[in-house]
Amino acid sequence: MKDDKKMKIEVRDARSEDLKPFLGLIERMKRLNGEFDPLYTIDEEKRSDAEKFYGNCIVDTQNYIVIVAEFNKSIVGVLKAEIRKRIYYNPDKEARIIDLYIMPEYRRKKVGAALLDYFYLKLNKLGISIVTAEFPALNLIALNFYRKIGYRNIGSIFGTTIDAKRVK
Amino acid sequence: MQDEERTKKFNDLSVKYSQFYKGKIMVLPKVPINTLSDFSYWYTPGVAEVSRRIAADSDLSFDLTGRWNSIAILTDGTRVLGIGNVGPEAAMPVMEGKSMIFNYLGGVNAVPIPIRTKTKEEFITVAKALEPSFGGYNLEDIESPKCFYILRELQKELTIPAWHDDQLGTACIILAGIINSLRLSGKKIEDAQVVFIGSGAANIAASNLLISAGFKPGNLILVDSKGILEPEREDIDSLMINNPWKYELALNTNRDRKKGGIPEALSGSDIVVSAAKSDSNTIKPQWIKKMNNYPVIFALANPVPEIWPHVAKEGGAKIVATGRGDFPNQINNSLVFPGVFRGVLDARAKGVNFSIMVKASYEIADFVSELDDDNIVPKMTDTDLYPQVASAVAKATEDEGLARRTGSKKMFYDIAKDIIEENRKIFRKLMDEKLIRNLPGEQQ
Repeated sequence: MKDDKKMKIEVRDARSEDLKPFLGLIERMKRLNGEFDPLYTIDEEKRSDAEKFYGNCIVDTQNYIVIVAEFNKSIVGVLKAEIRKRIYYNPDKEARIIDLYIMPEYRRKKVGAALLDYFYLKLNKLGISIVTAEFPALNLIALNFYRKIGYRNIGSIFGTTIDAKRVK
Repeated sequence: MQDEERTKKFNDLSVKYSQFYKGKIMVLPKVPINTLSDFSYWYTPGVAEVSRRIAADSDLSFDLTGRWNSIAILTDGTRVLGIGNVGPEAAMPVMEGKSMIFNYLGGVNAVPIPIRTKTKEEFITVAKALEPSFGGYNLEDIESPKCFYILRELQKELTIPAWHDDQLGTACIILAGIINSLRLSGKKIEDAQVVFIGSGAANIAASNLLISAGFKPGNLILVDSKGILEPEREDIDSLMINNPWKYELALNTNRDRKKGGIPEALSGSDIVVSAAKSDSNTIKPQWIKKMNNYPVIFALANPVPEIWPHVAKEGGAKIVATGRGDFPNQINNSLVFPGVFRGVLDARAKGVNFSIMVKASYEIADFVSELDDDNIVPKMTDTDLYPQVASAVAKATEDEGLARRTGSKKMFYDIAKDIIEENRKIFRKLMDEKLIRNLPGEQQ
């Protein structure tokens, strides 16, 4: 157990050398998504694809913001957002949080708040004022978290699986 | 007689006697009825005045009806003994047995109520609806983790005590046994390293009770089928969603962040409490050798403990406890629940909590007058244990501000002893008069 008083969390941009531990946390988060909905079941065979994708996200700072929280040289929290164009709308850009995960031991210790503060600061510098978050609809923990920090539901994604009978 | 043969014999007798007696309990009036005109005050019209008074003050139901001594044994039959989810009808013989023990050892009128509910919310709704009839609830044989949720909600919402014996009763007697084990080993609560093998209802409750009693959370380690519980385990997020009680312990125990399985957990520990699979190879003697001096092993699985006591002793264990009555140190919640319920009922309690349970555990531990490695807990035949525990619980209830009736510990002891003895006298009389028939095959 870590002592709260002595805990000094550093939040910074992710670097390429963070990739391995970063992916460890991402995989935990994706596995957690699978707990809520089988459509989010992870395929462990796809690790190399994930490595390639997230490796690119870290270096492609035009399209992605990737941040880590570090404690004692270990990555204990991650945030990855995509910068998206909003065609027809004003403002024309938004940042969408796709991945936000904090190691269980470091939850309720304001690590999430520290990641978000750093993230908002970056968005401000980039002139992006709209931030959205994407998570499984059945993930009540994420739902409650985002509601608590002032986010509201601005859209929904519905999904289904197409079984053989429906394909004629 | 070998274990299997003995079990078969008891199974056969249980079916035979159940067919003969057709149930183990009954409802009998306890007031004199000399003529039918007596019904005019026991029933209508006179009883209407009693109803009016209770309507004006519902707490009077504890003084003017049998509510003060009545509890419900509530189950959904989802985890009955070791036989699993057998449903409410099949749970009834077990609940009747429990009711009988409540009555015989604690003088408590316990009404078995197996209910057909599908969800935990439905169970809670039924329990809340039945509250006006009872002075307490004993939850029994409900699957985990549903049992944690139901207990938490009922303890929050009811104004009578809710107790889940598989959790709290077992936790209380485990703590009592550990207190006396530490007295014998000369070790301190704040230093004791305790390993729990199995992370089901009993061990989760026992872990939390130990923490309430002053054990350091970091000194506890829980092990389940996936290994040692620790915050970086891969299934930790799944636990957060599906078993938040286990999740909290994963975050707060195991200060040294040990990883691995049972052998790694045992290394450097003082006490092992196993409530796991009934398999005598679960704990190996060579692992006990890696424990600290004066190793204490509670191997509580029934019918076969996780290590046979003689094997544990060969491995260096100083104290070995099991769930069985044919070995020394039987860790049995029958030493707890009759006295606890006698106590909360006598105090007309509004609830029960860990502080009260810790006091109950100390009372049980203190009851052992000749403490040695083979006598760390009382025996079920120690009849004075039950009023002693009852008085400690009633007084603790008062200390916690949960008692409707207050008094001295001596007063509560006398009340409990009178009730239990009076009850026994009635029962003995019914047996002597053959109004309770002898067992089939015995001389009538």
